[in-house]
Amino acid sequence: MTLQLLFDALSLGGIYAIAALGIALIFGVMKLVNFAHGQFIAFAVFALIVPSTDAVAVMGLGAAPALVLVPAILAVGAGLAVASEYLVFRPLRNASPVALMVASFALGVVIQNGLLVAYGGRPKAISLWPELGKPVALLGAEVPMLQIIVIVSVLVVLALLAVMLKRSRIGLEMRAAAEDFGMARLLGVRANAVIAGAFALSGALAATVALVLVAQTGVADVRMGGQIMLVAFIATVVGGMGSLPGAVAAGFALGAASVALQAALPIEARPFRDAFLYGLVILVLLLRPQGLFAAASAKPRV
Amino acid sequence: MSKLGVFDLSVRYGKLTAVNDISFSVAEGERVFISGPNGAGKSSLLAAIAGEVRAAHGRIEMDGDILSGRVPEAIARRGLSMVPEGRRIFRALTVQENLMVGVGLRRDKTAVPDDLEAIYAAFPILGTRRHANAGALSGGQQQMLAIGRALMTNPKLMLVDEPSLGLAPRVVDEVYDRLCSLQAQRGLTLVIVEQSSARAGRVGGRMLLLRGGRIVADGDATAFAADDLLKEAYFGEATP
Repeated sequence: MTLQLLFDALSLGGIYAIAALGIALIFGVMKLVNFAHGQFIAFAVFALIVPSTDAVAVMGLGAAPALVLVPAILAVGAGLAVASEYLVFRPLRNASPVALMVASFALGVVIQNGLLVAYGGRPKAISLWPELGKPVALLGAEVPMLQIIVIVSVLVVLALLAVMLKRSRIGLEMRAAAEDFGMARLLGVRANAVIAGAFALSGALAATVALVLVAQTGVADVRMGGQIMLVAFIATVVGGMGSLPGAVAAGFALGAASVALQAALPIEARPFRDAFLYGLVILVLLLRPQGLFAAASAKPRV
Repeated sequence: MSKLGVFDLSVRYGKLTAVNDISFSVAEGERVFISGPNGAGKSSLLAAIAGEVRAAHGRIEMDGDILSGRVPEAIARRGLSMVPEGRRIFRALTVQENLMVGVGLRRDKTAVPDDLEAIYAAFPILGTRRHANAGALSGGQQQMLAIGRALMTNPKLMLVDEPSLGLAPRVVDEVYDRLCSLQAQRGLTLVIVEQSSARAGRVGGRMLLLRGGRIVADGDATAFAADDLLKEAYFGEATP
């Protein structure tokens, strides 16, 4: 029972963490809260099936073997994000953060309506890797195979991202740009390359979330990115805007708190779980308005 | 051909004119101080040369290549490096990571490890603390890191904005000693904003005196240091 709760918390928290990272990465380099991130996720979900407004989904890319499907969907997410940057955010590069944020809302609406036109508004059942739903015995508990794979994949993605940021040239440039973009440019760091790189990574992270969501829920819904985007955005705020470790930690914390509340609250209070969850968020922000992990650069030094 | 040429350069922020129709040139290997009171336009002038601020009009050339209108990274790639006011080191990065940010633009990547060791030889404290977070360095150490970071781009021309700001006089001496010996070693051309004309006079070189966005004097820094011209530039016309 408790082990099952732990797995639930890790897999839910992992999804929140990956989604929050997608937002924190872009915020870090260009101070843009990308509210279209949820629609990036939805877009990657629908890229699995053949465009049609029929009620029954026909797998397109989703029918491909995982070795082809996973990289292809990551590329779709990255491609959509890079295209968005090029067409929408690059022309607004010198606009105010508020204008950028509004533009990201608008972009989200455009993507969502594009999906509505191509696929229709009704949620569709799709079955991705159904064999992963089988439970396996682990340390005396029955855990769905899928949950283990989700947790492992989340950890692998986090590790790869950490290595990339720490060891690669583009990673170094992104970290420098996140702290002081103007200074990085004075040292020859190309603004366009760093921003496009951050969008590509963010889009690939959105696609990762999409794959996990589809495998877990078996549904493709035009609105499915919205809820997770909200939680992910809250995680980036709680973690400290711009702090990548903060986004990850807060994502896991929100997942764990959700699962814990679901288990601990009396039955009649459970429908109001999110009210308790966001109450906790408010409490944390009252105590630490700068977030759990304020970016090191934000601290003044005398 | 001069290293740096500035022609009729003006910089405006809204209605405020920070740099007003300035022209000057800097020869290869020269050390030029830009001095003057607060608000004279010193930092704006450097920012315009480095491409951080767009000039309202005028032209900037380096080695006959036009810099004005280019983005900062393009200017850096032509061999101009900036040690900015307030140092602006990347605090969350390690000392060594700070030094490595600017090597992406270099074509001679094989020379990078040797250059890194040369920086550590010039600033031993940076070598000792190479894996420490740059935010943990003292002000003087951060200034040296900012200079080392600019040098790692292997520049031909280096702009240094107020290197003495917020440092103890003894540390300022040390910073200037290192700057001058590095310049001699590398044949660098240096343009340094220095509020203290006395300091510029002690270090030696040419001095441009700015006031109200214009150059009011251009000559030898040491000769200037004691001159009345300075007092006039700082305090205005003497009133009887």
